Amino acid sequence: MTMVNKIEREFSTEESLSVLNPYVREWFTKNFAELTPPQRYAFKLIAERKNVLIASPTGTGKTMSGFLSILSALFEKSLEGKLEDKIYCIYVSPLRSLNNDVYKNLSRPLEGIYGLIRESKGKEIITGNIRNVTIGVRTGDTTQQERRKMLSKPPNILVTTPESLAILVSSSKFVENMKGVEYMVVDEIHELASNKRGAHLSLSVERLQDISEKKFVRVGLGATLHPIEEAAYYLVGTEEGKPRPCAIVDTSMVKKMEVVAISPVKDMIYTKESKIEDEVYKEIDRIVSASSTTLIFTNTRSGTERVVFNMKKRLKYKPEDIAAHHSSLSRESRLEVEGLLKQGALKCVVSSTSLELGVDIGTIDNVIQLGSPKSVSRAIQRIGRAGHTYNATAKGEVIVLNRDDMVECSVMLDAALNKHLDSFSVSHNPLDVLAQHIVGMAIDRKWEIKEAYNLVRKAYPFSTLPMEDFLSIVNYLAGNYVGLESRRVYGKIWYDKETGMIGRRGMFIRPIYMLNVGTIPDEVSIGVFEISSKKWVGNIEEEFLSRLEKGDIFALGGKLHMFDHATGTKCYVSPAMSNTPTIPPWFSEQLPLSYELAERIGDFRGRLSKELERMDQDAARSVVSSKSQVKIPERAQAILDSMPINENAKIAIAKYLTEQLLFAGVVPTDKLMLIEYTRDDKTEKDILVFHSIFGRRINDTLSRLIAINLGVVLGQDISIAINDNGFVISLEEETEIDEQTIGQLMKRVVNSDVEAVLRGNIRNTEMMRRRFRHVASRSFMILRNYMGRRMPVNRQQISARILMKAAEEIDPDFPVLKETYREIFEEVMDIKRTKELISRIRDGSVEYKFIDTVSPSPFSHTILTFGHADVVLMKDRNDYLRYLHGLVLKRIGVKPRSKARGQSR
Amino acid sequence: MMLGKDIELIDGKPIAYIKSIKALVISDIHLGYEAHSARRGILVPKVNLASIEKMLKAAVNGRTADVLIITGDIKNDFSSVETEELNEISDLVKFARGQNLKVVLIKGNHDNFIERYNRSFGMEVYSGPKEINGYVFFHGDSVPKIGKRPKMLVMGHEHPSISITNAAGRKESVKCFLNGKYKGIKILVMPAVSYFAGNSSVIHADRMMSPIFDSIDVESMHAIALGYGETIDFGPVRSLRLADRRAMGARL
Repeated sequence: MTMVNKIEREFSTEESLSVLNPYVREWFTKNFAELTPPQRYAFKLIAERKNVLIASPTGTGKTMSGFLSILSALFEKSLEGKLEDKIYCIYVSPLRSLNNDVYKNLSRPLEGIYGLIRESKGKEIITGNIRNVTIGVRTGDTTQQERRKMLSKPPNILVTTPESLAILVSSSKFVENMKGVEYMVVDEIHELASNKRGAHLSLSVERLQDISEKKFVRVGLGATLHPIEEAAYYLVGTEEGKPRPCAIVDTSMVKKMEVVAISPVKDMIYTKESKIEDEVYKEIDRIVSASSTTLIFTNTRSGTERVVFNMKKRLKYKPEDIAAHHSSLSRESRLEVEGLLKQGALKCVVSSTSLELGVDIGTIDNVIQLGSPKSVSRAIQRIGRAGHTYNATAKGEVIVLNRDDMVECSVMLDAALNKHLDSFSVSHNPLDVLAQHIVGMAIDRKWEIKEAYNLVRKAYPFSTLPMEDFLSIVNYLAGNYVGLESRRVYGKIWYDKETGMIGRRGMFIRPIYMLNVGTIPDEVSIGVFEISSKKWVGNIEEEFLSRLEKGDIFALGGKLHMFDHATGTKCYVSPAMSNTPTIPPWFSEQLPLSYELAERIGDFRGRLSKELERMDQDAARSVVSSKSQVKIPERAQAILDSMPINENAKIAIAKYLTEQLLFAGVVPTDKLMLIEYTRDDKTEKDILVFHSIFGRRINDTLSRLIAINLGVVLGQDISIAINDNGFVISLEEETEIDEQTIGQLMKRVVNSDVEAVLRGNIRNTEMMRRRFRHVASRSFMILRNYMGRRMPVNRQQISARILMKAAEEIDPDFPVLKETYREIFEEVMDIKRTKELISRIRDGSVEYKFIDTVSPSPFSHTILTFGHADVVLMKDRNDYLRYLHGLVLKRIGVKPRSKARGQSR
Repeated sequence: MMLGKDIELIDGKPIAYIKSIKALVISDIHLGYEAHSARRGILVPKVNLASIEKMLKAAVNGRTADVLIITGDIKNDFSSVETEELNEISDLVKFARGQNLKVVLIKGNHDNFIERYNRSFGMEVYSGPKEINGYVFFHGDSVPKIGKRPKMLVMGHEHPSISITNAAGRKESVKCFLNGKYKGIKILVMPAVSYFAGNSSVIHADRMMSPIFDSIDVESMHAIALGYGETIDFGPVRSLRLADRRAMGARL
């Protein structure tokens, strides 16, 4: 029997209530008519002191399901007069706003239950030392005074964030208050399990378990997650190499959904953009005016702003009826919007991702999603915000914005209704996170190295950590990469190889840890303004700004701008008279398309195009040219009719695929990668469009792998633009490409050593520089906060460049470099699945086809319009200086003396 | 590559070799940079000294040299001499001695207080320009007084580089020498040998750092770039600026 198992049978109400203390039970039955689905499992399981993971949508009484049995146990203690001033339960949530919610939502039952006890016990309250259970919040916002108070009189339930917890476990005084912890509740576990922040928390929790006198009960709360067992492993960690036991309660699918993808027009290509926009807002207006409160999700912060602006301007919504809510807004204005929502005072609120998470927002009738949210789980989560109770049906409309979006959203909603979720994976062995905790542990006390290693391995993300990696971080932290005399400055810990002990070095290391702990990198956003009109165009990140020089052209908000100058946190631009950005926007606000969803889209395209192919040319032409109804084969129509989409969308999808078939004779699918050699009319450059529908992370990996191999074959630098539906490779020099070249290229690709090829090249990319900075600052190699100074981001960035060069010089496997590569390979790219795909190409189960077109095929259009760009440089060639010289000569009109040497390898 | 008959710019390295005076010339070392960064919270591993030693070792090999001339800024910190700097300067001098090189330092603006410690180092230190057989060496933070017509002026301070927009639209920066004329006298501006020192692109600079350029036609100076194992004359700054405008224009 596995120790982690799904609980299939719910307990009866009587069973569930019988485990509660009578006062707690009385309060509950007075306030609630019935138990919600997760409560029917969780009350009893937690009362039995089992570790429990609860996956359930917001609004299903999840918080109460996790807490009520804990409150019951604490009141039992109180009634025995044994409730002390110490912490019994710690609640951790990644969101500060959620902390305040939970504080409020628990204060009410505490008052209520204690009220009942007071009524019944009277004076005995004092004689019997029956105290109320206390609760307190500790975050980065907590004042010094409150902290001092909390130290001498800690609350029974401590509500905190992962970062604050990491600080608390290293505070020698405060730790005394936490030794008696019996319950650990981790909320929004789906926001933590998959990333470094979660890996960080998992180590804090194991460190806390290590100093605790008792083995605490772990309760995890989250939304839908797949595979859910993986989330359970994350929650409970391991002991002696085996997962600790955990019961899984999965009621994430209790809420019924009614969803539809809506195409605002029948034809998304020949309808003018302004007309499409008009229709989108008409559609929004129709839905919003028919409901009392609508929540609109966009995919970017700038999108959110634009929708609010347009609803006020075009649809004449009054400022008091509509509001924006996104992470760039101040905390006060977000809280105000949340407050108004709870009162039901808003007609409509527009958000990017910030309202997707569990903040209590009252009742929402309808959710509108503009454009694809890129993953099935996210779609379910967002739409699930609609509907008053868990019994109600969540109603959602997804309005699509272009043709690829339309296919994507249709398939996504179909998957959502059939409960096919995207999978997530835990961040495994992040060395930068480990570095922080080793410093933290060394601050607490001296450790025998093996003992420290064993503790670390109890956290699930580190359960497979090799001793070798652990030691490399210890050596790094001990400053063993510099001479003995400099270790006083570089070393954060000491490591005595003779005795195998580690400990803290110097007195400054404690403040360094406290001020720099955490995994979220600093990013400052800079407002971009039109220089003549002073109109706001959007925001860029400070790091991006630091790369801009006068005259550089970059894309923002769907337009190109030329950089003029910057002052403090403002950046001024003028409209660019050009088609090509000179600076690639390497960071992208856009969410990436998930692998599972991409594959389903490929499959759908395959099934539908197979039926559409049965039409003859004339029939196909009439589908494409038809202005209203289209006539397509019955089985094709049946496929479309089975999808949750409106009539316009059916017509538009049929036209889109038919047009591609007519033009190119083939539709790219999950079994067929289309490689199209064509010419970009705008830039007048030859391009290769790879139609590869395997998700953005694979495209991110595969595009580089292909570009590097092509660069080697052709001996030139190559720019790439990556998109969810494929990627584009631009050829700078005139090059003839035919089926044979592609055959050679693909042969090289399927036979390459993926890691080695990528590693050799990625170091020259923007992404590497940026990620290295994050990893270096997480590893305390760049101290963002040091000696009372905060280092500005652009200085961090310049430093990171120097650091990277120096680290490479001393050891290509320097732990901070190694972690940067790991993060890129596993968290940005998807090297594992890319390798699987390559082996499928090798064995022929995924085919590729080369076509040569005079102008880009219909499926190329969105790939060409929206991509995030990067460059693959052939810098490793030893005649690179000569190559640069050749470029200069060409530009001033001089022929290089020996052209052959300049171009060949 | 050779610059005239007497000077060799060693391939791929920011080092000049002057045959007639058996001298290797380098500039702007900025020792102690890593320690300086570390004190500000950026823990840069130490690589500068080691990389310079490696380059010098290769340069000595096959050439007859008995003096190492440093045209300023052997160290990094303006305000004092830090322990780390002392250690590294001492190591560098020891290394040079091991290669049978005498060290001549022309003081740069970062080299304050160096005399105080020099007794243990035993370098020849000059605070103004130093003439050796018709070559005048100086740092370049101020305009030197020049006596009888020298063969050539050699200076540092500027950290010159050029940045070329590559075919993919990205700017690639490489260090360079600048070779030209100051009031009719030949002048050679040395690239910084430091692993870390920031480099200023002569193509994009509105203004040069050294005041001496007020009397030099920078546009006519040749930028001799180095890197990737080679040293190549990229031609006059004027044509590099033209090529840069064209490269930008091509993308407009």
